[in-house]
Amino acid sequence: MDNEPTNYPMSSRKSWPIVLWLSGFLGQAEKEVVLGDLTEYGESGSRAIASVLGLVVRRKSAVFLDLRLWLAVALVVLPVSYLLSAIAESTAGEGAVYSWMYLNNWDWVLTRNPGFWHVLREMAMNFSITCLVLACWSWSAGFVIGRFPNAILQVSRNTFIVLLAASFLVDAPTRFIHFWMFLHGLPLRPSLPDIHAPITANAFYHVFFPWIVLTILVVLPAFSGVRQGNRSSLFERKMRVVLVTAAIISVLIMLIQVPSFGLLLGAPVRQWMWRNRNAMQVPPLLCCWPMFYFIAIGVGRYGRCKAAITQCTR
Amino acid sequence: MEMIGEFEYLILSSAARLGAQAYGASIRIEIEKATGRRCSIGALYTTLDRLEGKGLVDTWMGEPTRERGGRSKRLVQVTATGVKEASNFFRTISRISKGASWTTNRPTTR
Repeated sequence: MDNEPTNYPMSSRKSWPIVLWLSGFLGQAEKEVVLGDLTEYGESGSRAIASVLGLVVRRKSAVFLDLRLWLAVALVVLPVSYLLSAIAESTAGEGAVYSWMYLNNWDWVLTRNPGFWHVLREMAMNFSITCLVLACWSWSAGFVIGRFPNAILQVSRNTFIVLLAASFLVDAPTRFIHFWMFLHGLPLRPSLPDIHAPITANAFYHVFFPWIVLTILVVLPAFSGVRQGNRSSLFERKMRVVLVTAAIISVLIMLIQVPSFGLLLGAPVRQWMWRNRNAMQVPPLLCCWPMFYFIAIGVGRYGRCKAAITQCTR
Repeated sequence: MEMIGEFEYLILSSAARLGAQAYGASIRIEIEKATGRRCSIGALYTTLDRLEGKGLVDTWMGEPTRERGGRSKRLVQVTATGVKEASNFFRTISRISKGASWTTNRPTTR
């Protein structure tokens, strides 16, 4: 063997920080075992790096051979990231219009008009509900992903974020509509003048605002949902079934909110939805169940803390 | 169960020889001594996982030791199924090797 083990302590070698950094990609138990083996074996610096790197590559690539990962991506991660990016985009557009109207064009004279306050109240309420529903949908989607097996969880979560950003970046919903119209031989709509041109001309609303909305209302709630979904394995079976069912129903309800997805439902269903458009506003509100989940968790914790304090004071 | 592979057999044999002293680093040294080739940590631990998944070995974390910088070992024990599979592999290799020039010390035919 060309590179025999040496008797110098591993931890005093220059390569040790690299070995430590690489071993951070392994699980905690495996990291300890591998570092212990290298220390005991007295592996030379470059060999130690190659050994750990080899194991990391094997571990990370093994997940891509797992059929469950590809099924999860195809059936859940891809459609959900597409739906959320579509809804986030329309929410960002709506928010940009309101923000531009009220912040960039504020006029104190308007405040003397009672109609101004009426419209502002109504707008603020509607937009708050839209944001809340989007955040709850993102949380529910994250919760569903969080229930995936641990072996594929991290890669599924990262794939979700990448697909979400990619879908948002290339404006996948609009492209999907064009593709669908092309497939059905429908003429593409003529490009009309942009009625929001003054807003889209503003770099903040055009470039930064959509990403801020995506981060705050989709990425952060989804991450929280993934964490809660993963932790929910500690709950009782019945509770787990209820939570997962609620999360799946919420994700399915998202479908009716996405205009481009409605194309797949067929004309009769779309007409029925249009006739019952007022009733169709109710299901998204039901998707706000994560709020009640958090309230229940908060109340539970408060109760436990109170009981513990009472016990201590006795 | 399909027959175990060559590297799986090497690990099972090393672990069986080492007995209570079978863990990652010691198995690796045994394999390197026997084969004269390097045994990578990646190959060793992924194969150990596979063997454990097949129920051929049991592994558990040992106590931290000083020579390992206060880190634990992953101890290995061959199960009864592991012994059976390793024996099958050995018998198969012995049977198929009977009469081969390298076992009888006869010169090769061509």
